[in-house]
Amino acid sequence: MQFDDQGRVNKSKKRAVFNQPEAKNRVELFRHLPQYEHGSQLTDLESKFLELDSMHPAVYKVGVQYLAGDVTGGNARCIAMLRAFQEVINDYSTPPGKTLVRDLTAKISSYVSFLIECRPLSMSMGNAIRFQKSRIAKLPLTLSETEAKAALCNDIDRFINEKIILADKVIVRHAATKVRDGDVLLTYGSSCVVEMILLYAHELGKQFRVVVVDSRPKHEGQALLRRLLAKGLSCTYTHINAVSYIMHEVTRVFLGASSVLSNGTTYSRVGTACVAMVAHAFRVPVLICCEAYKFHERVQLDSICSNELGDSNDIARVPGRPDVNSMDNRTNEKNLQFLNLMYDATPSEYVSMIITDYGMIPPTSVPVIVREYRREYLLI
Amino acid sequence: MVAHGRQCKIEGSQATARQTAELLRSVISQQRVPYTNQAGALIDAVKAVGEQLIAANPVELAVGNIVRRVLHIIREEDLSLTTAAIGELNLSAVSDDENDDDRDGNTTLSAAAVAAAARSTLRPPSLQTLLEDTPVSAAVPQTSSSGAADKSSRSRKLKHDVIEAVNELIQDIVTCHEQIAEQAVEHIHQNEVILTLGSSRTVSEFLFAAKEKKRSFRVFVAEGAPRYQGHLLAKELVARGLQTTLITDSAVFAMISRVNMVIVGAHAVMANGGVIAPVGMNLVALAAQKHAVPFVVLAGSHKLCPLYPHNPEVLLNELRSPSELLDFGEFSDCMDFGSGSGSPLLHVVNPAFDYVPPKLVSLFITDAGGHNPSYMYRLIADYYSADDLVVQRRAIAGN
Repeated sequence: MQFDDQGRVNKSKKRAVFNQPEAKNRVELFRHLPQYEHGSQLTDLESKFLELDSMHPAVYKVGVQYLAGDVTGGNARCIAMLRAFQEVINDYSTPPGKTLVRDLTAKISSYVSFLIECRPLSMSMGNAIRFQKSRIAKLPLTLSETEAKAALCNDIDRFINEKIILADKVIVRHAATKVRDGDVLLTYGSSCVVEMILLYAHELGKQFRVVVVDSRPKHEGQALLRRLLAKGLSCTYTHINAVSYIMHEVTRVFLGASSVLSNGTTYSRVGTACVAMVAHAFRVPVLICCEAYKFHERVQLDSICSNELGDSNDIARVPGRPDVNSMDNRTNEKNLQFLNLMYDATPSEYVSMIITDYGMIPPTSVPVIVREYRREYLLI
Repeated sequence: MVAHGRQCKIEGSQATARQTAELLRSVISQQRVPYTNQAGALIDAVKAVGEQLIAANPVELAVGNIVRRVLHIIREEDLSLTTAAIGELNLSAVSDDENDDDRDGNTTLSAAAVAAAARSTLRPPSLQTLLEDTPVSAAVPQTSSSGAADKSSRSRKLKHDVIEAVNELIQDIVTCHEQIAEQAVEHIHQNEVILTLGSSRTVSEFLFAAKEKKRSFRVFVAEGAPRYQGHLLAKELVARGLQTTLITDSAVFAMISRVNMVIVGAHAVMANGGVIAPVGMNLVALAAQKHAVPFVVLAGSHKLCPLYPHNPEVLLNELRSPSELLDFGEFSDCMDFGSGSGSPLLHVVNPAFDYVPPKLVSLFITDAGGHNPSYMYRLIADYYSADDLVVQRRAIAGN
């Protein structure tokens, strides 16, 4: 994270698997975060496919998917990474003269730094990697190699099953009790948990409308909109600027999160804070739906100290608007910068309730869960 | 111009206001005024045209504002001429004492004129004046022919004065940007960080004026979807050498903690100090209030509207085409009439304007100086008459 320290930057460049030219016009406030020119990364990585013998093909595939943006969303990225690690473990054989524990841990660390180069880790992925490493470290020494590998793969399966899939089912069941007939539910962007909640409530026969709020540059809400319409839900679509206009009709706001931090701040897609703020101003309850494995003991006050910067060309170019796009050749102008933030931090006073697999809790109870229940899952 | 208004071809309050004023000026100059009650005739003519203009584009409040300004000008000019005439008559009644029988007609004229002038002065309405017809349309009794020369010169003078005043109004409209920009130096200090949304010519002139005076500052411009005017503003600012960063509207809350001041333009300012602004402004205002960042609105005086907003999100708003948000080609399969009742499943909402309540605004900067939102209703008394709030011709009995 300390990208403004030149020594560390040079060290990481030496270890880098592929070339990433730094972006030219960087916003001063974000000099501590990495920002690269996105045009050539994918082709560069693809061209290196045959040179990377130390890289397992499954991990390479996941890295390319991250870079291209095919796999997005905290849960999806975490599951893809863990499945890749399962294949790594299955194909692993201890080289002579080394212990399984140390060597496997070193291999996993190198794969993780490759994935970080493709795209910085999300909090869910960070927690999963810590779990993985702790499981490897806790392997009893009496196990043979095949038994150890089987135990680790089993652990990964259980993690995915309990912490993600079953947790989602519990969350959906809790949240469906909060949907009443005649409700107008608002959601922002595309969260897999919120989508499951809406579809489940619709299956239960509840009568409600959905408002999907979307924003530039990714327009993630459009994919969600399509899936909801296919299932027969009545939807309204709008962009984030119009959220004050539509909020007087809304009865509940359901939002997803990339993580919830220990001071109750919700760390999620940029724009969530705006939606939560307007909902709070109109006295509409805001419900965050987040699995407990995404909680983190870090604290954060604003969106600037830690964030992820995306491609600045996405901001400069507006698809379908040639009159505005004459800006495109201006990305090299000295005075003009484009800022493409991926995440923002929603203060806890805007959130009414967090729905997790441990139940429905207020934002102030998050550090309690992190402290009390973190030990439990490490001892699976 | 009515046809243009309906098709919304004229963009921008300033251009609309100027066109309206010029149109009304030509209406006034072409209007043939009778000898009696010339102000009433002018007012009727202006109201007739004004009704049509307002009906053509009710969301463009500048049109109604200018119509009401012109009506107020006519009333004021008439009042000042009448008081001047009374002054002359009083003097002439006092000065010559010998020819009393000659003076009889004139003294009766002066008494009646004084009475009429008393009714038409802008005193708070008493029961008497409320029960009568509007003071201006009350006929001033014309008995003596010796005043004929006076009256025709007075009627020419009224039109002349009104047209001069309307010219001044047009001049004010055209130069409002300069007058607002002059105040820029008082509000922007060195190393400031300023946030704005969308694009407004007043805001860009304001920032350029501060740059001319060698203040160095940075600007964050939110792009203002779905019109993306922020891109155009960023281009202009960069061309003038200002450090600009373009952000998406969703990042406003994230960035506003590092911003010193928010400066925006407005579409219209209502009588309670509320602001009708391009969509997304309420989001910025709420974020600014949360972080205690001053929210400054720049508006020329032609944007000040004497109406109070009731349900402004619906009544003073305009919904634009959904194609700006969703591509019809991609979503054509979803636009079917899917559910059993036959109504479409997908609605797309694309409002053009947003309402910002007065408690979120820190300061208004107009060409008449800086004001609190709670002061805006006083400016209305300067610019508008209470009789003109509803621009409709009253039905005259017997017509």
